[in-house]
Amino acid sequence: MFNIIGKAKYAYIFSGILVFASILSLSFWGLKYDIDFTGGTLMKVGFADSVPSNQEISETLQHLNLGSLIIQASDGNIALIRYSADDDKTNDDVWNAIREKYSGATQQSVDFINSTVSKELKSKSLQAIALAIAMIMAYIAWAFRKVSRPVESWKYGLGAAIALAHDILITTGVFSVLGHFYGVEIGIPFIAALLTILGFSVHDTIVVYDRTRENLLRGSNKEGFSDVVNRSLNETLVRSINTSLTVVITLLAIYLFGGLSIKYFALALLIGVIIGTYSSIFIASALLVTSYNLMVKK
Amino acid sequence: MPTMTSAKKKLQLQFAGTVLLAVFAGLFSYPEVLKFAPPAYNAISRLKINLGLDLQGGIHLEYKADISNIDSSHVDEALQGAQDVIERRINAFGVGEPLVQTAKSGNEHRVIVELPGIKDIEQAKEKIKDAPLLEFKEEGEPDQSTKDMFDQINKQAKEKAQKVLEEVKNGGDFSQLAKDNSEDPGSKENGGDLDFAKKGQFVSEFDEVLFEKGLKSGEIYPELVETQFGWHIIKFIESRGEGDEREVHAAHILFAKHDPYQYEQFIYKDTGLSGKNLKFATAQYSQGQGLGEPEVALQFDDEGTKLFAELTKKNLGKQIAIFLDGELQIAPVVQSEITNGQAVITGNYTFQEAKEIAERLNQGALPVPLTLVSQQSVEASLGIESLQKSLIAGVVGLAAVTVFMIIFYRFLGFVASISLLIYTALMITIFKFSGITLTLSGIAGFILSIGMAVDANILIFERTKEEIKRGRTVQNAIEEGFKRAWTSIRDGNVSSMLTAGILYFMGTGFVKGFAASLFIGVAVSMFTAIVITRTMLRFLVSDWIHERVWIVGIRKKDVKISNT
Repeated sequence: MFNIIGKAKYAYIFSGILVFASILSLSFWGLKYDIDFTGGTLMKVGFADSVPSNQEISETLQHLNLGSLIIQASDGNIALIRYSADDDKTNDDVWNAIREKYSGATQQSVDFINSTVSKELKSKSLQAIALAIAMIMAYIAWAFRKVSRPVESWKYGLGAAIALAHDILITTGVFSVLGHFYGVEIGIPFIAALLTILGFSVHDTIVVYDRTRENLLRGSNKEGFSDVVNRSLNETLVRSINTSLTVVITLLAIYLFGGLSIKYFALALLIGVIIGTYSSIFIASALLVTSYNLMVKK
Repeated sequence: MPTMTSAKKKLQLQFAGTVLLAVFAGLFSYPEVLKFAPPAYNAISRLKINLGLDLQGGIHLEYKADISNIDSSHVDEALQGAQDVIERRINAFGVGEPLVQTAKSGNEHRVIVELPGIKDIEQAKEKIKDAPLLEFKEEGEPDQSTKDMFDQINKQAKEKAQKVLEEVKNGGDFSQLAKDNSEDPGSKENGGDLDFAKKGQFVSEFDEVLFEKGLKSGEIYPELVETQFGWHIIKFIESRGEGDEREVHAAHILFAKHDPYQYEQFIYKDTGLSGKNLKFATAQYSQGQGLGEPEVALQFDDEGTKLFAELTKKNLGKQIAIFLDGELQIAPVVQSEITNGQAVITGNYTFQEAKEIAERLNQGALPVPLTLVSQQSVEASLGIESLQKSLIAGVVGLAAVTVFMIIFYRFLGFVASISLLIYTALMITIFKFSGITLTLSGIAGFILSIGMAVDANILIFERTKEEIKRGRTVQNAIEEGFKRAWTSIRDGNVSSMLTAGILYFMGTGFVKGFAASLFIGVAVSMFTAIVITRTMLRFLVSDWIHERVWIVGIRKKDVKISNT
């Protein structure tokens, strides 16, 4: 049996560092949002032989005075052209300018989102995450209502919620770093990934809590609370790791073979699932014991 | 023992049911195996999964509906009308399985149009936009907000005029400034030059400055002069002649004043009668002697007839203006109350034009103005590529999970893998029958749910192995495993479904597809992982297994000596 609870200090320190680094990265580098959240237009243009230099394309479009124009070359002779305008007319002008200059160019796609729509998406996403955490907390508190000794059921909810916030913060932190160094952008799929991580991670946490509940209800009085929690963790350890492995396997399949459009979505899930598994083993239950110890000291 | 046999019979029935379910789900999800029997194959393969735009290519358009002119009790009706109209237009266009729906987002109303498999995006957009907006308006005062808006515009014009005047006074080039700023189209290009003119040719305020103020040649009048046209900066160039024959050569820069009465859209107000009250329209020649003018005849529906009767009664002797796409067509004076619900639009049309207008009106007038606020388009080849890639990812994921389960749980893992295959087939069948649109994110959710589906089995089997090690018989331990793992499975899956539910109601396409398949996946996987796996295990496991615990992945020496 591993003494997981006894080593909680190290887990706290490790998580503390990760969370702190994530907050630092988020406050200094922030996140790179795609048009889902900033509004504006993203036009994908395919070129016949090779993508002209960014300089050349931006000169071609100069007369249109596009706000915050960004041009990126992408795989398969494709250039991604972004700008803040979000009306049909401008899009037509841009396309005509390109077509005149490069005869073999094809328009692969034009996506645009009005800035009011994108603002609304942003606030909705935050609401959804907050709502999900609150509902999960409430559900756990309800599901564990029968256990109130030695730790009240709402503390199970709180413990799970702290672990969830931890998972989300670190995953977002990783994407902040990826955004800074590799230009990885986040949009609606990232939010979907975060919410899925919530569901998955809490699932893991619940399995451990559930075993703790069972052991508490059947356990002898000789065993201390922290020992019960530690035993429950050990009993569910293989299951936690195996479950995460099966999910990691499928996510890896999506990441490696699923194509460009969902690659980063799979990556976000992958990071979140790994962090989530870690936090349900090392953080969520340790928090229960810590709050119990604090209560006893009083 | 009779109870024993009935339990056994029940189990046999359940197992037969499972096999039947598996066969059906298998056939529906992969009808190709029936190719040898064409009638059955044709019947089953007609069911197809409804693929999303991102998998087959197409365009997603989101329009904002402007409902500011619609009485709040009629908003839903008007939006429904807009939806119907767009549907009719698209159907005429011949796009396979278009989707038109309305959505409310905050205080805004949206109309969402999805056109799968479409090639010419611009043409489709034109077609939707092309929908005519037919409005009937009556005479009325511009409202206060319109007046305020004009006051604001005029204030800005005056301020600008003052600024330019200062520039002129400080030695700025008058003719250049006139070219850049003047809103008098007649004189602008000549640097504001008005040539020689006698008294009385200009408005009185203007004349007064030129003829009474005694300006010298080349002098600029130091103040702005306000007339009905706006604010003028006036330059006196020269004069000739005397007395009544005196002519003045001057130049000016005009900053125009705007007045709501200059614009027809502001002097008519909405009446509530619009294109949505139209029953049909026809092109015809006006009645009367000889061949009349081409015109468009309108027939209103019951509500429209009533409204039109009230409107004509109220406005006897006044104008009723008919606007098409925001442009005034005609504004005839009402001669008598019209109770038969008929009206005609004339507007110097050719017969061809009248016919086109009538056709557009018949296809439907948009009861609300729409502006495009969001567009997403996916090229068909890109969609197909995404579909293929995600299918490969799915197959690889499924295979890897199966291998993993068999390595770890041997016989139990093998049974769980069969359940997993049944799960996959069931999901595909559900997608085919329900008509739920499968998007790329939906496939991702589905693949992810494969990984999560085995979680319930892992929970159960871990518990089973524990119980075997504690000395229970394998059969017993399996039952115990199912029983004890249930609360964890329930609590965990409820929380997954909660988040999937929230995701679904958050609303955007990508998230919705993902959430729907994840939610269904979690629900179905609970059924396959628990009910189906248990039925199969109960049927297959009997006394033969007791001496062979290795078959569930346990070393014999790990088993405590049983005391039961």
